[in-house]
Amino acid sequence: MTALNVQFKKGVLELCVLVLLDKKDRYGYELVQKISNQIEISEGTVYPLLRRLTKEEYFTTYLQESSEGPSRKYYRLTDKGRIYLHQLVGEWKEFSEGVNQLIKEGINHE
Amino acid sequence: MNKSQFLSEMERHLSRLSIDEKDDILQDYEEYFSIGIEEGKTETEIATSLGSPKQLAKELLANYHIEKMETTTTTRNMFRAVWAVIGLGFVNLVIVLGPFLVVLSLLLAGWITGVAGVLSPLLVIVNTIVNPDIFEWYDVFFSLAFCGIGLFILIGMYYASNSVKNVFLRYLKFNLSIVKGGTNHG
Repeated sequence: MTALNVQFKKGVLELCVLVLLDKKDRYGYELVQKISNQIEISEGTVYPLLRRLTKEEYFTTYLQESSEGPSRKYYRLTDKGRIYLHQLVGEWKEFSEGVNQLIKEGINHE
Repeated sequence: MNKSQFLSEMERHLSRLSIDEKDDILQDYEEYFSIGIEEGKTETEIATSLGSPKQLAKELLANYHIEKMETTTTTRNMFRAVWAVIGLGFVNLVIVLGPFLVVLSLLLAGWITGVAGVLSPLLVIVNTIVNPDIFEWYDVFFSLAFCGIGLFILIGMYYASNSVKNVFLRYLKFNLSIVKGGTNHG
């Protein structure tokens, strides 16, 4: 794992969590699995992130019983979180389009 | 490493936190273990995929100290937050400690200049008492001018210190989200 890769992922993790919660409320394990199916992450780091974003009032949490076992802590996106999500998505699109354009130009000239 | 080893190591590294906070964190990881086990994973597999409890604890502590600095800024809280972020890895030592020391010394220099300016009439008085024969009126006028300038500098430094605090807080948070990331070897 290169340093660049690691630094990238941490910032993007925040975006991933917010995006996943936009559609519906989810519990921690579910969030971690959804993300780690797509990107290789150290799964434990999602929890510190969830705590931080909850304290920033981007999420609220509630406990819900599960049929299979102990109750699960669900995370719900707040209005403040949704505004932040849209801001991040905008930044991400701009950023990734810029990088993609550079890659395209670079490869065309080779 | 099994579930109880993971949790007890994490608990040990989080001993600085309040009991409520610590329990809440441990409960999150306990929940993660129990759902993982329901899905047929072994405790060891889950512990490995979570990463090093020590590193996770460091990150949680850094979160905690920054948050504390936000609610009550004392010099002590600020230093703790800075140290906690530095503790996350070597890169942070360079990009956090460097700017922090530079900014801190600039602020200190500003405060000293202001205080010296404000106190300069006092120095003239002391000088006059000790050496009455070298008294010059222009010393008095200059020192009064310095006193005025010093007052302005102090007012300026007050606002500067406040905004520096806020900027630094944002910088620490930014570090938290960018630097130490993704996997446990970084």
